Amino acid sequence: MFTWANFVSQMFNGLALGALLALISSGLTIIYGTLGVLNLAHGAMFMLGGYAGYVAFEATGSYIVAVAAGTLFLLVVGIVMERVVIRHFYGRPHEDQLLVTFGLGIVFVEVVRFFFSSLTKTVPAPPMMSGITSLGFMFYPTYRLAVVGIVAVALIVLYIVLYRTKLGMIVRAGIEDSLMVDSLGIDVYKVFMVVFGIGAMAAGFAGIVNAPVVSLTPDVGEAILVQTFVVVVIGGVGSFPGAVLGGLIAGEIISITSMIDPGYAYVMLFAAMTLVLLLRPHGLLGVRGRE
Amino acid sequence: MYKQHRSLVELLTAIGLIAAPFILPYLNFAPNTVNRVLVWGLFGIGFDILFGYTGLLSFGQSALYGTGGFVAAYLLTQAGFPHVVLALVIGMVAAAVVGYLVGLIALRRTGIYFAMITVAIAEVFYFVEFNPLSEWTGGENGLPGVPTPTIDLGFFKHHFTTGWSLYPFLAFIYFIGIVIALRIVRSPVGAILTAIRENPLRAAAVGHNIHGYKLTAFVIAAAYAGLAGGLLGVLQAFMPPEAFTFDTSGQLVMQTAIGGRGTLFGPLVGAAVWLYLQDFLQATLGLGAAWKLVLGLVFVLLVCFLRQGIIGGLKDLYRLIFHRGGAEMEAPEESVPAAAMSVGAAATPLPVHHRVAEPAAGPILKANGVSKRYGGLLANSDIDFTVEQGELRGIIGPNGAGKTTFFKMLTCEVEPTSGKIEFAGRDITGMNVTDVCQLGLTKSYQVNQLFTKLTVRENLQIGALADLRGKFRLDLFRNPARIPGLGDQIEHTLELVNLKHRADTPVAQLAYGEKRRLEIGLALATSPSLLLLDEPLAGMSPQERVETVKLLKSIRQGRTMIVIDHDMDALFELAERVTVLQEGRVLTEGTPDEIKGNPAVREAYLGGVLE
Amino acid sequence: MSLLEVQGLNSYYGDSHILFDVGMRVEKNEVVALLGRNGAGKSTTLKSLMGVVTPRTGKVVFNGSNIAGRKSHSIAQAGMQLVHEERRIFGSLNVEENLVLAGHTAPKRWPLDRIWQMFPRLKERRTSRGTDLSGGEQQMLAIARALIRDPKIVLLDEPFEGLAPVIVHDLMKACRDLAAAGQTIVIVEQNLAAVLALAQRVYVLNNGHVAHEGPAAELKANPDILHRYLGV
Repeated sequence: MFTWANFVSQMFNGLALGALLALISSGLTIIYGTLGVLNLAHGAMFMLGGYAGYVAFEATGSYIVAVAAGTLFLLVVGIVMERVVIRHFYGRPHEDQLLVTFGLGIVFVEVVRFFFSSLTKTVPAPPMMSGITSLGFMFYPTYRLAVVGIVAVALIVLYIVLYRTKLGMIVRAGIEDSLMVDSLGIDVYKVFMVVFGIGAMAAGFAGIVNAPVVSLTPDVGEAILVQTFVVVVIGGVGSFPGAVLGGLIAGEIISITSMIDPGYAYVMLFAAMTLVLLLRPHGLLGVRGRE
Repeated sequence: MYKQHRSLVELLTAIGLIAAPFILPYLNFAPNTVNRVLVWGLFGIGFDILFGYTGLLSFGQSALYGTGGFVAAYLLTQAGFPHVVLALVIGMVAAAVVGYLVGLIALRRTGIYFAMITVAIAEVFYFVEFNPLSEWTGGENGLPGVPTPTIDLGFFKHHFTTGWSLYPFLAFIYFIGIVIALRIVRSPVGAILTAIRENPLRAAAVGHNIHGYKLTAFVIAAAYAGLAGGLLGVLQAFMPPEAFTFDTSGQLVMQTAIGGRGTLFGPLVGAAVWLYLQDFLQATLGLGAAWKLVLGLVFVLLVCFLRQGIIGGLKDLYRLIFHRGGAEMEAPEESVPAAAMSVGAAATPLPVHHRVAEPAAGPILKANGVSKRYGGLLANSDIDFTVEQGELRGIIGPNGAGKTTFFKMLTCEVEPTSGKIEFAGRDITGMNVTDVCQLGLTKSYQVNQLFTKLTVRENLQIGALADLRGKFRLDLFRNPARIPGLGDQIEHTLELVNLKHRADTPVAQLAYGEKRRLEIGLALATSPSLLLLDEPLAGMSPQERVETVKLLKSIRQGRTMIVIDHDMDALFELAERVTVLQEGRVLTEGTPDEIKGNPAVREAYLGGVLE
Repeated sequence: MSLLEVQGLNSYYGDSHILFDVGMRVEKNEVVALLGRNGAGKSTTLKSLMGVVTPRTGKVVFNGSNIAGRKSHSIAQAGMQLVHEERRIFGSLNVEENLVLAGHTAPKRWPLDRIWQMFPRLKERRTSRGTDLSGGEQQMLAIARALIRDPKIVLLDEPFEGLAPVIVHDLMKACRDLAAAGQTIVIVEQNLAAVLALAQRVYVLNNGHVAHEGPAAELKANPDILHRYLGV
């Protein structure tokens, strides 16, 4: 049944999901833009972030520590993965890159399943963000509101890192022309490693922040990965603003459609993607030739 | 290998399938595992045509597997349809139709986009099965009660049940599937699919409608997926909704990569390894859920170190042990003796095919007021250019004169911003490369654009097929040897570019000069009436240059050619007339002697320092 | 010892052999020009020095150590800079960011003011993004980006190509000032008049071989060489 309160609450859900997707997709898209590698393990990294946070939470009981652990753990995973595996695949065909990242994703998922089983794990929201909040005309879970804020802050931080720091400058230059960056005396492989680390970190952060909203299972990253692809196709590969815009669009489509009939959420998402492909094959904010 | 024993592979497959029930039980294969291996193997045949042969990595095959499976299962369990085999065929057709529609969308893009789109599409199918269509598909319960088939030949009646009883039915279908697939990959279409994998741009440039062929591969893969999906229901007596999951697509991809892509049998081997290890790790070693972790690690290691999978690894091992590669691996010939070149020169020139009515004399190519603008840069401005039938024209100009852009417009790789181009009396402005090549205009590239994993002969075949079959034809079961004129055309071209002695050598093992000749040969194999050569001498040693100039002279009979090159001595020796471009315009045009003596040309090249 | 000494350099694109045993040397404070027709291997020579193309064989002794086979960034850190023919300005970064990025890993760098002094036009456009610059401004930025690293040697690949005469004049002046200040330069340029006005010595390349070497003045007096290797 349609009510305005319901509609607005779904809009909020869409915003929360959209912001989350924007953050994860940003990681995927800057990795692809700089390294030319589509990371199919990105969903698994999102999941790993959640579990790393879960472990930290079990040990300390602190939400803050959990978030820090999930984020930093993935920074390390990203850097190690780039150094040990991905680096050897820059010169290989796209298919091989897809296969190896896909395989690594499976390994991540199964390692987690091995240690934590398939049963769901939960990380509770911190006390000050639990319960529900009255927005005047409706009630809304406080943590979900907080997620919108937290992720928005993360996106702003990512924006600042990318657009207001020297590191970000190097990364953006690297997305555009990594050969020239190298010619200017900057070790481009180090840049690649850092970018992979940042991308992984974004996924890990999203994973732990989302953990109190949806319980953790080893397979939690799979659906996210698919949604992230749609976001990137809609927004345009290699574009940070595109990932944000695409994320918000995808989040709202999923939530609003779910209000009417959840079964059609993916159909609508897919329809939007097809529409973009037909009208703007390179995505809403994508650049031609980055493929 | 296939050529000498055309049916050997089929025969060995048949023997293997018949022997399997007698051997595999001793290897601890449960009959049900063997049956599942066959279903995955069949599913993988189509996928291998798509991925291994055509180079399109789809992560969305589950959509088609599920579609075929549920259509067949619905007919058999809900609609009261009695014929199992017919239901399977209907499921297969339904999957093929869906595959066609999905392909139309997914094939708009290539590479990682294609992979991402197929994933997304498959996910949609999964949700549609679960929700909107759950009334028909049983939602998360699937469709139980799928019957097994019965054959009734009047005098002989047999009902297949489960385990080894069902095996002959599945083995028979697998056998038919592999026989058809072998025919397809050996057909002209199969050759073109491989060419698309190796170099899609060149495959299109020699006149093949690559989009049509990619869609064909996608539909073939869909049909195999649909049939395998139906068999899954029959095998389990239940159509599981899991058929639609991303895991299904992923498992297929992994099995194919483990077994060896581009081999047709890879998926079967991969599935056998996968399912056997799954049983072994779970039951024998008691690893429980960790089996998938082990398989995941095995997969990652294989992708890192054994790129062609188990079958590829075995092939390499075989070569290593029996030194079979020795003969092929001999050092490439660095240069060809001049005597050998004269053989090429003596070869009868190929008849030029006239696909369009050409006037006997007069201009074959006319460009009127052609301009090309890239953003703020005017690369070509208002070029008028005419080439007569049978002429050999040279184009020169200092750096940045717009020669390459001009060539690209003539071959319709880029569309002019304004102006008109006519070829053989026909307006070709705005056409695509493929159609223009089909009309008889093609180009050899400045940087080699070859099908590197194929042999010299196979490369030339790709060009010749476009000429003899047109841009798109679904002769999926035709033996290329039966195409009239194909063998002759390839032999002629081999002679013309003097590569007869290297005909069965893979391109990767050729010397650079030989590759340059093959580059020209590939264009020649399409029997063009107008051949454009973009820096044919680029990167050659002085010796090779002399030989290539000879070669170009020998191939020109009856053909119109336009050559760009920086080697002026060679170009002036070759061309009858030379057009000079400067800063995107035609500076002048004349005989080589006129050009050499032209002060404006000197000025253009030397910047007037001498004065 | 020369600042740069190249011996037996052979470079390939894929398996296309581009440079054949190229040898050359550049003294400190010298301006050397590479001449030759298109496709003669001039750009490839510069790219091979900078490590953008990895030479297959040969020695490149720069400032006393062999840099052949090293990666670009390590060669850049040794004090060499290549101004690419395509300029390769970062379009998403503004003028100042392009310069700051370039100076990032330099052991010693020019103060920005020195750049602004040399190219006042860039100072005016310091906040414009690379994509919004004109061709001439992009070329100035490309050169400035190399200079800010205070390189021991600058390789200029066709710096005047496709620019309006006024801009060429300005850039020429900048190059002359640089040379006067003792900057070592290797320049590839089609505009002969410009090159001969700048360079003290020239190498003429033909089909990947060094066909001639000598003082620039000699070339002016000997049009035969020009005709043979550069003209028509």
